[in-house]
Amino acid sequence: MNLLEVKNLNTSFHIGVGTVHAVRGISFHVAQGESVGIVGESGSGKSVTMLSVTGLLPDYAEVSADTIRFDGRELTKLSRKEVRALHGSEIGMIFQDPMTSLNPLFTVENQLTEPLKLHRRMDKRAARARALELLRQVDIPNPEARLKQYPHELSGGLRQRVMIAMAIACEPKMIIADEPTTALDVTIQAQILELLQTLKRESNASIIMITHDMGVIASMCSRILVMYGGAVCEQGDVREIFYGAKHPYTWGLLNSIPKVHQKRGEKLVPIVGTPPDMLQPPAGCPFSPRCRYCMPVCRAYMPPVTALSDTHSVACHLMHPKAPKIGRED
Amino acid sequence: MAQPLIEVKSLKMYFPVGNNLFGRRRQLKAVDDMTFELYPGETFGLVGESGCGKTTVGRALVRLYRPTGGQIFYRGTDIAPLDEKAVQPWRRKMQMIFQDPYASLNPRMTVSSIIAEPMRLQQVPEAEIEARVAELIGQVGLKKDHLNRYPHEFSGGQRQRIGIARALAMRPEFVVCDEPISALDVSIQAQVINMLEELQQRMGMTYLFVSHDLSMVRHISHRVGVMYLGHMVELADVEELYSHMQHPYTRALMSAVPIADPDLAAQTKRIVLQGDVPQPIDPPPGCPFASRCRDCRPVCREARPELRQVAPGHYVACHLYD
Ligand SMILES: Nc1ncnc2c1ncn2[C@@H]1O[C@H](COP(=O)(O)OP(=O)(O)OP(=O)(O)O)[C@@H](O)[C@H]1O
Ligand SMILES: Nc1ncnc2c1ncn2[C@@H]1O[C@H](COP(=O)(O)OP(=O)(O)OP(=O)(O)O)[C@@H](O)[C@H]1O
Ligand code: SF4
Ligand code: SF4
Ligand SMILES: [Mg+2]
Ligand SMILES: [Mg+2]
Repeated sequence: MNLLEVKNLNTSFHIGVGTVHAVRGISFHVAQGESVGIVGESGSGKSVTMLSVTGLLPDYAEVSADTIRFDGRELTKLSRKEVRALHGSEIGMIFQDPMTSLNPLFTVENQLTEPLKLHRRMDKRAARARALELLRQVDIPNPEARLKQYPHELSGGLRQRVMIAMAIACEPKMIIADEPTTALDVTIQAQILELLQTLKRESNASIIMITHDMGVIASMCSRILVMYGGAVCEQGDVREIFYGAKHPYTWGLLNSIPKVHQKRGEKLVPIVGTPPDMLQPPAGCPFSPRCRYCMPVCRAYMPPVTALSDTHSVACHLMHPKAPKIGRED
Repeated sequence: MAQPLIEVKSLKMYFPVGNNLFGRRRQLKAVDDMTFELYPGETFGLVGESGCGKTTVGRALVRLYRPTGGQIFYRGTDIAPLDEKAVQPWRRKMQMIFQDPYASLNPRMTVSSIIAEPMRLQQVPEAEIEARVAELIGQVGLKKDHLNRYPHEFSGGQRQRIGIARALAMRPEFVVCDEPISALDVSIQAQVINMLEELQQRMGMTYLFVSHDLSMVRHISHRVGVMYLGHMVELADVEELYSHMQHPYTRALMSAVPIADPDLAAQTKRIVLQGDVPQPIDPPPGCPFASRCRDCRPVCREARPELRQVAPGHYVACHLYD
């Protein structure tokens, strides 16, 4: 069953100089217990997509969708306040910078027990016991002492763990992790990824992992959404994307990272140019100004979504039966 | 082998960090006893976790810092002890490219004056400066009509190119690239890396390439050094290091890198290190990695392992190889 189903999500920001069209007609779903990765260029709308779903955007953001169905409930029918109330209880959020979730003025104990008292109606003792259990669950050594500390007294890796403990405190059905390990060292990143995998196995929660690191996606996720210019340009299961990608941007993304056994001197293949300005996105395919296969039709019309399998779909005019047949080159 | 461009001997860079309970000054040993060489035209990759001292090594080599101890022979002359004035002629040959393309450019200067600034400081004649700026902007793949614009009008990748053009202005022989691509999008990183490689081929510069992206380091480097807590723990040619790594820390570090290939990733076993990286303040004797090493033995806590050659050009500092 699908835990989350989103159809035709559009999000824009009205700012002084005009309107930023951050998300343009995105549809996707997340099954119960599944881990989905979202990759894409900086500014492509990854964070805004998930913040729109969870009602966490500022008021000047305009969000519309045909459907945002979470665990059987239609979120588009709820007020923003009611959607936000899902946080900390049914949806857990993990961000790149733990200080966006942690309040510097409160101890770890305070921050962990507050949502438990609120959402789970626990008394002080029960909440404290659960907080200790959570710190052990995220492998924090010496949890009694940590409870009394403030966020700034912890290392980056420990803060990330406390934030994860907060996110899972009320046993959420869905965990959204937005670049959870980007700011961490690789050995600490490995610890956190291992922890997330264990938590997922034990709780059967769904995980949505936003990252720009194809390595993190390859080892953590079963399905991938690739975003460009506010739209999903390709989605598929992990092998369909890594070994059978069909969209020129996905090819570009895979070709611009060094291959695992790449020798010195082999050239990387960068994508020329820069991402689109979402104040004035291109009329047709958002990737058209940088795409080496761009055809006249690409500049005029947004490409339709073509399904290649139950899981794999691509938004590119090259999928048209009359378009030239082009394969990925290395 | 060719003569080294730079020979670093027992380099030490300590920072004072307040007093301990008995009023004794405590020392943070950011770089401790590092010895290595850089050869003309090579790219030497320097890797290791946050705080291990990579940036400090880079800054000491280009003499933005005055080392606490040790020698830095630049073409045979020890530049480590020179004072501000005496070091000037050497500084011209050495440049640094920084991680943050946003912070490292003056927002109130046009691109052309940013690139020209190091030449103006060295009192290069104006006519020469103008020609050189035009040449540089082309070399880094930007256009002449970009010259009169301001940094905020450019994307991250373009700003990094401006920073590189500026660093190349005085035709340096040696460039420290400190995380030059970390702040950039994946697709833009490849543009900057390709450009650094082309420039090196054309002008024969030597790079010290600092990065935490181990696959990019493998791609760009001829030789690689692995640092831990201010020490060089392993050093070898790039292919030798990536295929025959020996030091327990190198192995853990490499295995922690997520592999961007799902089938390979599923076959590979990760070594997950426990605990955090300690701070090098008044460090205990012995091996710097002892507190996190699975192979730690009593001798490791007593004596610091020396960097020893285990194969031609491959050095390891670990008691397992004594
Ligand atoms: N609060 C906001 N007000 C105005 N514009 C915004 C706001 N938040 C995001 N945007 C714009 O929306 C677009 C999408 O941003 P988003 O943060 O989703 O990108 P992203 O894909 O998460 O990128 P990154 O990888 O850099 O995190 C960008 O053009 C961004 O500038
Ligand atoms: N000017 C300074 N004064 C005091 N301590 C410093 C100074 N510069 C660096 N340090 C300390 O020296 C150690 C090494 O720092 P350095 O910046 O060289 O690490 P790094 O390997 O470049 O890390 P990163 O990957 O985070 O950039 C750290 O513990 C740091 O806190
Ligand atoms: S629709 Fe056209 S421009 Fe867009 S990715 Fe496909 S070929 Fe390229
Ligand atoms: S010297 Fe000892 S503690 Fe250090 S890396 Fe080798 S085995 Fe581990
Ligand atoms: Mg984001
Ligand atoms: Mg650094």
